[in-house]
Formats: sequence, structure tokens, C-alpha cells
Amino acid sequence: MSDNRMEILSLNEMCEITVMSKNTIIEIVEHGIVEPIGDEPESWRFDTRMLVKTRKALRLHRDLEIDWSGIAFSISLLEELEQLRDENKALIMRLSRFEQGCDSS
Amino acid sequence: MEFKDYYKILDIDPEASDKEIKTAYRKLARKYHPDVSAHKDAGNKFKEIAEAYEVLKNKETRAEFDEIRKYGAQGQSFRPPPGWQSSGNAGRQSASTEDFSDFFSSLFRNANQQAEFDDVARRQGGFGEWGEARPQRGQDIESDLPVFLEDTLKESTHSISFQIGSKKKTLKVKVPAGTGNGERIRLKGQGAPGPGGASNGDLYLRVRLVPHELFDVEGHNLVVVLPLAPWEAVLGTKIEVPTLSGNLRLTIQPNSQNGQRLRIKGKGLPNKQGKHGDLYAVINVVVPPAGDTGTEALWKELAAANKFDPRAEWRK
Repeated sequence: MSDNRMEILSLNEMCEITVMSKNTIIEIVEHGIVEPIGDEPESWRFDTRMLVKTRKALRLHRDLEIDWSGIAFSISLLEELEQLRDENKALIMRLSRFEQGCDSS
Repeated sequence: MEFKDYYKILDIDPEASDKEIKTAYRKLARKYHPDVSAHKDAGNKFKEIAEAYEVLKNKETRAEFDEIRKYGAQGQSFRPPPGWQSSGNAGRQSASTEDFSDFFSSLFRNANQQAEFDDVARRQGGFGEWGEARPQRGQDIESDLPVFLEDTLKESTHSISFQIGSKKKTLKVKVPAGTGNGERIRLKGQGAPGPGGASNGDLYLRVRLVPHELFDVEGHNLVVVLPLAPWEAVLGTKIEVPTLSGNLRLTIQPNSQNGQRLRIKGKGLPNKQGKHGDLYAVINVVVPPAGDTGTEALWKELAAANKFDPRAEWRK
């Protein structure tokens, strides 16, 4: 059985996992891309969702050569897009259930 | 091995300037980056584009590729020229060249692994801040984990299989109750092995709730479409409604409207704290198929007796 308990990560652990410097992670936080719990970098706590978002920010920064403020903007738009796609998918599904009702009559 | 024409992949002329190469890469990368694109083969497309750019953006490796292109572009199957040795400059500025093609690996992968490793470590901030080089980690792996709605009611165990290089790996994973669509589960150290004894990468599983035959998901609430005959909606009735944990008896009030949402408390999906959302049954009045003359006569009688105008709003 693999270990996947809810994890809370420190700044140092985030650096180890992402193989990035503290300064890079601090920059990501300063741009509001992720919002760890805690006031000072030493007390910051990150959950898996924040780690996933940080990794996404790093990939976009590396592969698309976008600066951090551009990343912050892109990620919020991407999140909105994903939410709208999910909603759209759900509504299409719902509509098809009503239409099925019409077909059977 | 398949010959890869990096110019064709970036859709540029072999005489393209450095600026044109960069522009072509940026344009295609924005289109196919797996974090941005909805294209179904985005991951592989982007890998090809990144590989092409990795070679063509560097003067030395581009010149090497131009040589190979003359030599290898004609044949069906490609083999590196005898005695071929690359300057090894590719892959020193981008982080993930591990999963580039065999063509890339055999031609441009640096022969001096240590130099590349030091370079990666330095670039990724391993020097200075920690005072010493940190070893590079193994590659992280991402995979989807389909989960049935029923499985989110309580902790469930799933068996997953995935590929690391040529090896197939199977794992058992616990998915906590209340796990939602799109959530990620991180399995520490279950990714690709680290080079030279460095720590393994991680495995990230993205939970995908499998669409249900009856229920739609709205956050932690569930929605079921409830078909009613016209007389059931008008006269009211008692019916059995399906929930994820068995059927429930539900009272339909007289004069219920089409589209009305009936709330069944606590029969939705749980959150991580164990609190359940609700189930909403949405009324869908269904007219029966053409019936016998007796039924038709009853409808006609109703029509004659009732002065109800469903389009009164139009005439205001």
C-alpha cells in the first residue's frame, strides 16, 4: 500500500520536491500564485494542491518563457477556463438527460 | 530509429533565423503545452516541439543537426553516423530532456553525464543557497485515476498500473472519503528512479470522477432527473428515488412544476470532514406516448374543462 496521507509541506520541502531555490518559491508566493498558510517564509505551510499549482507555474515559466506576473494571470484564467469547461460538460450531460426523457415519450 | 526533422516539427524553413525559431517555438508551445491545451495528444506534441527547439536554439547543436539531416533524412530508418559524438550542449538549459526521443538521446545527449548534472544542479539553484550541489531527482510521473462516485462515500482502495521507462509498476492506493474531481494525490517516491542514487520522483494521480448513469455532480451535491407522468405532477404521489446508498421514498406534492428541484438532505457526496452534501431531484414531466382512444378522450375532456393558458405571459 502506498503512502498518500494528507501532507503539509514546509518551504524547504517545497524546494526539495520542485528542485527549486527558496527565492523562486518566495517569488511565486509574492505573486499570489499560491498562498501558503503562515506569515513568514519559515512558518509557511503548503498542501498538495499548492504544490501541484507551484509545479504548474514552474513548467509554464520554463516552457513558455513567461514572467511571474504573466504566470499569475495565466493560471487564474486557466483555472476559470477549467471551471467553465467542467460546468459546460455537466450542463450538456444534464440537458441530455432531459432530452432522453423526450425521446422515450 | 526514426529520423526527426526538427525544422518540419517547428514548421520552419531550414534557413530560419534564430528569432524565427524562437517565435515558431513560442507559438506552438502556447498551443500544445499540456498545462494549457485541451488537445488530446498535447503532451506528446509538446514534447516533440520542446525537443526540436532544444536542438535548434543552440548554434552548435543546430549545426550538428544540419549535418545529420544531410546524412539521414533520406532513409526510412535512421542510424547515427559512425563515430558520431555530440558537443553535448543540448539539454543544458531546459529541465526535462529525460523523455525526449531515442533520436535525441542517441545524438545530442551529453556524453559527460557529470557535466550535465552539475549544470542542472547549478541552474536549479542547487549551488550557493545550500552551499553544495543537490542531486537531481528522478522524474515525476502524472496519471489519471478514475474513481466511481460510490467509492467517494468512504475510503476506497484502487489498484493502479503505470509505465516507468520500460518497466510496468503496479500499486495499491487509498483514496480518502470525500475526494473530489480534479484533486491530486501525491505518492512520494513512486515516480522514476533518481540518477546516480538521487531520490526518486513522485507519482501524481489526478482523480477523475467517472460520469454516473443517473447522478450529476455539483460540488458536493448530486442531481438526479426525476421523470413524472403529468398526473403524478398534478395529483402528487409517493415514489422511490435512487440515491448512492440505496432507494428512498419521496413524497411529490400536488401541483409540482416541471424543473422544480426537490432537496433530499444529506444524500450528496461527503467532504473531507465527513459532512454530506444534498441530493436534488429535478422534476421532468414526461408526456406518455400516444395512447388508446380512451386515454385520448380523457385528455380532450380535460382540455375542454380547463381554461388554463400556459402562454398568458406572451399576451400581456
